[in-house]
Formats: sequence, C-alpha cells, structure tokens
Amino acid sequence: MSTDVKSDLADEVRNALRTVIDPELGFNIVDLGLIYSIAVESDVALITMTTTTRGCPATSFLKEGARESASTISGVKTVDVTLTYDPPWTPEMMSAEAKKYLGVADGVGW
Amino acid sequence: MIGASLSRWTMSYFAAALLALLAAETLMASGYGFPFAELRSVETLFLVHLVALGWLSLLMSGALLQFVPVLVARPLYSDTLPLPALLALVAGLIALLGGFLQLDGRLTWAMPLLPIAGPLLGVGFALNLWNLGRTLWPLRGLPLPARFVVIGLLSVVVTVALGIVFTLVLSGTTTNERLIQLTAAGVPIHIIAGLGGWLTFSAIGVSYRLLAMFMLAPDVEGWSVRAALSSGTLALALVILGGIIAVCHGLELNTLLAAAAVLGAAALAVYVFDVARLYRARKRRHMELNSRMAGLALASLVAAATLLAAALARGSLSHDVGAIVFLIAFGWLSGLGLAKLYKIVAFLTWLECYGPVLGKTLTPRVQDLVAESRAAKWFWLYFAAVWLGTIALMLDATAVFRAAAAVMLAASVAIIAELVRARCLVEVDAANRLPAGAHRPRLFLCVSQQT
Repeated sequence: MSTDVKSDLADEVRNALRTVIDPELGFNIVDLGLIYSIAVESDVALITMTTTTRGCPATSFLKEGARESASTISGVKTVDVTLTYDPPWTPEMMSAEAKKYLGVADGVGW
Repeated sequence: MIGASLSRWTMSYFAAALLALLAAETLMASGYGFPFAELRSVETLFLVHLVALGWLSLLMSGALLQFVPVLVARPLYSDTLPLPALLALVAGLIALLGGFLQLDGRLTWAMPLLPIAGPLLGVGFALNLWNLGRTLWPLRGLPLPARFVVIGLLSVVVTVALGIVFTLVLSGTTTNERLIQLTAAGVPIHIIAGLGGWLTFSAIGVSYRLLAMFMLAPDVEGWSVRAALSSGTLALALVILGGIIAVCHGLELNTLLAAAAVLGAAALAVYVFDVARLYRARKRRHMELNSRMAGLALASLVAAATLLAAALARGSLSHDVGAIVFLIAFGWLSGLGLAKLYKIVAFLTWLECYGPVLGKTLTPRVQDLVAESRAAKWFWLYFAAVWLGTIALMLDATAVFRAAAAVMLAASVAIIAELVRARCLVEVDAANRLPAGAHRPRLFLCVSQQT
C-alpha cells in the first residue's frame, strides 16, 4: 500500500472518529484533542488516544467507541487503540471549533 | 471490560437515600421533631438519624462507590459487596428508628430493636469500608482529594462505634459505667465525627475532583489543599481522640471544642478559597446547573460557619445549634448532594444506555438527558426554603419553619421527578432516544452491558 493511500485511510479514520462524542463535553473526540495519533499500517489502524481526565468512568466506552468507528472504514481490518496520559490532555489541545463550542478562550491550557 | 467502571448498586443507594429525604421532609412539614420537640427528644433523634443515616450516609456511600474509583483511577475492589452492605444499612436504619419509637413508647414490640440496629449498621458500614479501603490500599501517595475521603472513612468508624455504644446503653443492654459516661457526654463527638468528619470531609474530597472535572478546570493541588487537609484532620483528631479521653476522665469538652472550631474554620476557609479559585479558573465559561447549585451549597456552608462563630461570640450556641446543624445538613450537604445527583444520575444513565453503542451510531450528549432551565427553579426554591427555615429556627418561628419544610418537600419532589425523567430518557429527542443496540435503563439499578 502506497504512502498516499495510507494517509488517505488515516484521514478517513479521523473523520470516522468524529462520530464518537465525549459524553460530558458533548463534542467529538477528534476536535477535543483526545486523539493523539492515527497511523495505518497494512490494514491495521493504530490509534493513540487519551481522556480529559484520568479515571473518567467513560474511558472504556470511549476506547471501544473509537475502535468501533475506525473499523467501519473499508481497508481497515484491525484496530488497535492505545490509551495514554503522557502527555496529559489540556484544553489547549482542542480545535478552534471545539473551543468555540465550549466557550474556551484561544491559547488557554491549564 | 466495557462498563466495568459503572458501580452497579449506586443508583439503588441513591433511590433509598431520596426516599429517606422525602420521609424526613414530610415529618418536618408535619411538625415532628425539633423545633416542635426538644433537641434531645426521641422524636428529634428519630428525625436526625433518618436524615444523617437514611439520606446523607446512603447518598455518600453510593457516591463513594462510584467516585473513589474515579479519584484513584482504578476499579472498585468488589462489585458484590455493595448490595449486602445496602441491605444491612437499610435494615439497621429501620431497626434504629423502630428502637427510638420503642423508647418513646409508640412501638410496643417485645423484641428490643436498638441492640440489633447498632451491629446491623456496623456490618453495613464495615462492608463498604472494606470495599473502599481495598480499592485505596494498593496505592501509595494517594491524590489529595482521596485523602479527604480516607479521613471521612476513618471518621465514620468513630461515628458508628459511638452510635453502637449509645444504642447498647440506651437499650439497657450494658450498664458499664464508662460507656454510660460516654453516652451522656459523647453526643457532640458523635455529631462532629459524623457531620464534620464522615459527611463533610468526604464531600470536600469528592467536590475538589468533581467540580474540576465538570467545569473543565485544572485540579487544585499543593499547599492550600494540604493546609485544608491537615488543619481539618487536626480539628477532628482534637474532637475525637481528645474528646473521648476527656469524657472518660470526666473533663470538660468546651476548650477542646473551641480549639477544634478554630482549626476547622481555618480548614473551611482554605477549602472555600480553593473552590473559588476553581470557579475562576474554569475553562467552561457557561456553567452547568450542578456547578451553579454547588455554589449555593457552598454559600450555605460559609453561612453556617459564620452563624457558628457569631453564636460562640454571643454565647447563644445552645439556642442556635439547631439552626446551624439544619443549615449544614440541608443547605450544605443536601444541597451539594442534590446538585451533584442531578449531574451524576444523567451521566451514569448516559454511560449505561449510550456507552455501549458509542462509535456504532450517533448518540445524544449527557446534557440532552436533562432540562436545566426547568430544574433550575426547583433548586432555587429548595435553597430559598432551606434559608428561610434556618432563619425561622433562629427566631423560634415554628409555623414559618413548618411552611419552609413543606416548600423544601415540594422542591425535592420536583427535583426527584427531574432525576426520574433523566433516568427514563424522557428529555431525549424521540428519534435518537433508543438507537439500535441501546437498552432503556432500569430505574434503580445500573446494568453494565457488554458489547
């Protein structure tokens, strides 16, 4: 598989992940900055993600939701989701759209 | 495992607690207990324990079973123990209340209930303590909010132990002189360990974390939290350890209580300062209803501390103590409890119903499960009635207090109806209410679904 195709697949996975919302903040996990990286190797999607807070009761649902939505992309057979808190999430990681939705000022982390 | 972070029995604890709240408010509105009876009367004991054990302790226990794992980011030690604990606590509460009615002569049943009540409550609390303790124990260097909960859990041990002693003495099961002495003079220790240690310390620990989480604010850490924790712990140690030693040696408690009050006030001042910082530092500019109402609960705590200081300065504590305890129980602890329940019930319902289909279909938000603008007026009405009731108690206006209690009852019923609506997904747009694979939640039970 060429590099361009892999990159397109990663973009498709990213778009699919936008259907997964963080229940508490009510916005999708991509624009909230909870997806740290997406890579597609052969037909395996490798997703590294975090949650807004350690110990969040929704953590397992968010991980599973990311796996489910990524697996809907044709060309992806296996999805491997890794959870990390390094670096810890901060509001600075949100997209401009998510910040606007939540009323968070630009350039604001913790 | 999917859904492992949902505490199965938390909703059952909440349901039992809310029933006790409604029962207590109904009694107050109908003129039962203080201020219609003496502060130390059996009627008041009945009412106070219905509130402290039935409402606040069951609420706190259910909340801790769900939120201690969040505080320490690890699963609850056992999902099996909360049910027998709940059954023992409810049975113990019923036996205790029945025992009080026996003391009053209103219940004429041959079997004495007080000696049964103490051990049953002891077993219930012990099971939950074991479960929460085993969840916390493997961690070294607990996060600061969790340390408040640890102090709260240690305080409940003292509160329950003293309570068991009191039931044994009051029922005549023991005639040990030391225990009789402890029963005669140890009531302030029992109240402070329960309201101040168990309920307030646990509420402070949980609120540090929940307020930061729900308002999208950085966790408050460092010197101020440590100062609040250490001065509050020292205040409790003075009252509990010093108090028990003083009572056993027949010494006066007043100096100890005054020293503890100063330390406790310092702890509360730092806590209020921290929470004000949390509100200011929040990234979520629009505050949700639960955070706004938590602010009113906090204002009630500050008002109660101010009233206490004024009463001590004026020497009117014996007159005002009922009003101060009422404001702590219903303005601070119940107000915070109801405010957080409004969020937690919707959040747990969302996890239970929509968590398993996340990523498979579009799902509503937690905020779509509630109608904040409608609920807000019931919360305002509740707090207004509590504040009116406090003033009525201070002015000995019993008729006004009764009216305020009736309004509290009406507001509580309306808030509970909002919780039931959230649980039944009534507010969710019908087209999105139950997507394929989602199951309607049961009212009193969280069922973790496997995908």
